[in-house]
Amino acid sequence: MVHLSSLLLKTYRGGFVVIRLALAGHKQANRPFYRIVAAYNKRARDGKYIEQLGTYDPLPNIYNEKLISFNFDRIKYWIGCGAHPTKPVAKLLGLSGFFPLHPMTITEAERRRAKMEKTEAAKPEESPEEGQKEVEV
Amino acid sequence: MAALGTVRRFFGSYSRLKNVQPSKQTPRCSVRLFCGETQQTHLERPRFSDPAVQDILTRITGLDLQKVFRPIKQELKPPTYKLMTSEQLEQAVHLASEEAKKRLNTPPVLPERKPINDVLVVDQILDGMDTAKLVFTDITYSIPHRERFIVVREPDGTLRKATWEERDRMIQVYFPKEGRLISPHLIFKEENLKFVFSQDRHEDVLDLCLVQFEPDSSDYIKVHAATYEDLDKHGKYDLLRSTRHFAGLAWYLVSARRVDGLIVDMLKKELLQDAVSLVSLFHMVHPHSESAQEAASQQAAGTELLKIYTQKESQRSGYIQLALQAFEQRSAEKSAA
Repeated sequence: MVHLSSLLLKTYRGGFVVIRLALAGHKQANRPFYRIVAAYNKRARDGKYIEQLGTYDPLPNIYNEKLISFNFDRIKYWIGCGAHPTKPVAKLLGLSGFFPLHPMTITEAERRRAKMEKTEAAKPEESPEEGQKEVEV
Repeated sequence: MAALGTVRRFFGSYSRLKNVQPSKQTPRCSVRLFCGETQQTHLERPRFSDPAVQDILTRITGLDLQKVFRPIKQELKPPTYKLMTSEQLEQAVHLASEEAKKRLNTPPVLPERKPINDVLVVDQILDGMDTAKLVFTDITYSIPHRERFIVVREPDGTLRKATWEERDRMIQVYFPKEGRLISPHLIFKEENLKFVFSQDRHEDVLDLCLVQFEPDSSDYIKVHAATYEDLDKHGKYDLLRSTRHFAGLAWYLVSARRVDGLIVDMLKKELLQDAVSLVSLFHMVHPHSESAQEAASQQAAGTELLKIYTQKESQRSGYIQLALQAFEQRSAEKSAA
């Protein structure tokens, strides 16, 4: 016999609440749009959540802006209740100024800068070679 | 638990940041109501929202019921007929005039808002991380739009407050208002404005402008100024006469000291009381002008006020004197007949 109660009341043993990004609009391919959501940890990523706390649109609009919204009042409430934000949400909150900057944001920035410097150092060596090749051909 | 402790400490610092910011922003008042002025500049000069000024302006606007309740595009309903005694008819007319007064509520005239240039943080580490700006909006439902936090993280790492145009756009995205568009209607471009003015549709332009822009934005003020200039040039004051925009027109002309056209128009339409109240409004707003001092010294009223004004202030005194004479002739004929 299937225990109907376990299907209807998904209370978790040892579960906790997280603030994470959930993908919305799954019927449209190649157009991501995230909802910032307070949900139980065990739930599916796009499944039933407790409350929506904001949105994140990763594609820039005609004014070259990526729109992000936060309901700071409710985020404060959920963090007060003991919800954990995930890494991307923590990064976004850091960029917005609500949290301090996430260490991974700074690390990524430093890594990117190191890579840029490497490519710039490589370029001046390549360009005289290319110039010579063009002259020959 | 340690994470919670650090987070709580940072909340402390953020709440301090939050307490610093609202003092720089405009005071809390919903824009649609008449704000009590908090900035005490121009103590002598009366503001648009003073009760005396508002009183005069409502009187000049007039109350043409036929024009206020003229048919607008609505759902078609079959007309209802009621059988009334004359008393009931009077009551119905009274109710209608109350309703009309509500519809003639003038939108506020505010000084132009100062641009926001506030930088919160400069993080040079984040330079070049992203090619697009990130705009963060606070969507808490219970704060007024003027106090909402809307910040922008530029690609070069600076975190700054959003400009007024960005603020308006974001608020329209997350809290859409009926009739307002994200990017303004093409009618507000200059060439289109000229075309629409030639079709005598100033009222529609002003209604659209009221819905689209905030009363202290530069676009709102520019469109209104252009409309009023055009009306003044062609003398088409009657288009706005029983609408809510008439007070704004009168205030604009009085502030610019170009009331002559309006006075001539009023005298042609035999609205002596309106002309007199307009001149008294002019004296209230410009108390140091010659005609105001002359009128105060002579304690003039009625046509005397008008005559003093024509002698002292107006550029087209000939016109106004002619109109005054014509008006007096007509009133003499009427009293004789």
